[in-house]
Amino acid sequence: MKKVLILIYFISLISLIYANSQKEESNALSSSIKITPEIKKKYPLKHSHNKLSLDCIFCHVGQGVNPENFEAVDEDKCLFCHKSKIYLAKRLEFMDTLKANPHNSVHDGPNLYCDECHREHKPSVNMCSECHLKEIKNNIWMKDTP
Amino acid sequence: MKQIFFILILLVVGLFIGIFFSYGVYYGIHKTSSENFCVLCHEMDPMVIAYKNDPHGGKSKIGASARCVDCHLPHDSLVNYIYTKATTGVKELGIHFFGNVDGIDWQKMRESRESFVYDEGCLNCHGNIFDKKLATLSTKAQKMHNHYNKLKGTEQEVKCAFCHFEVGHTGLRNYLNYYNPEHSIYKEKMENKKEELLNEYKEYGIKTK
Repeated sequence: MKKVLILIYFISLISLIYANSQKEESNALSSSIKITPEIKKKYPLKHSHNKLSLDCIFCHVGQGVNPENFEAVDEDKCLFCHKSKIYLAKRLEFMDTLKANPHNSVHDGPNLYCDECHREHKPSVNMCSECHLKEIKNNIWMKDTP
Repeated sequence: MKQIFFILILLVVGLFIGIFFSYGVYYGIHKTSSENFCVLCHEMDPMVIAYKNDPHGGKSKIGASARCVDCHLPHDSLVNYIYTKATTGVKELGIHFFGNVDGIDWQKMRESRESFVYDEGCLNCHGNIFDKKLATLSTKAQKMHNHYNKLKGTEQEVKCAFCHFEVGHTGLRNYLNYYNPEHSIYKEKMENKKEELLNEYKEYGIKTK
């Protein structure tokens, strides 16, 4: 009798653990957008975002389920993960020694819009190069814009 | 009777030898696990400075700190822990004495940070990050940690250090630049910064020239 009770105890314990793991899975974020190779090719992600397997709706929140109708996102979506412009400027603090920090420049401070330089689905640009062409072109000041 | 006595003596001697060796191994592992040991290599200075500038290095309200090995060695099994410690130790000793230390591109190395930061290490202390009732966990954190769980075990598995870069070493990119600038125009300016750092952090075993 005791053995049967112990057996029942273990079976219920295992089923509880299993049920709990199933619950965890259903709580995970899932998108109703099926990312086909075509969509991936049309809207490629930048290296880090791609490595993280980010879904369309991580950024395009509340924009429906059709990638064709998506609009450019506001920068609060970028800063959702990338914290703040001050934080980003601080990460490049070494550039402040020449007042050449693109995230805290003498011209704009930490106030530029992210998409002045950074683009997600097409190559990024470097706004500084509009004037500082030589330094940017020869990579003596900063790398290509990620 | 004599035989039993002999076996008993053998057992006792064996026990002592066993204890002696285990203690030796334990002592060795313990002594080679602190940042004081890791900092012995000159090339680690920027990492140590950045570590001391981070909550993981004691710069927090609590003041507790993690050791290098807590994050930079696997914690899934003792065998793997000791094996990885031994192999990386020997490899790094080789690089320190025979390799081209100044030629190491640390910025490039940081891109593969997930290969030398182990998730089990993070989760050993931060095991509560999946707890939905945790008041300090933002919706953003919950969303991303769910994403982490969802991809765990799949081909697209993500690692803690993918998102949490510079954790454990706040400002690492800056410090690396003060030692060895990424771009030529900063070279002269960085000398002063480096000098400042050397003086500020010399108490941690950073060698001033």
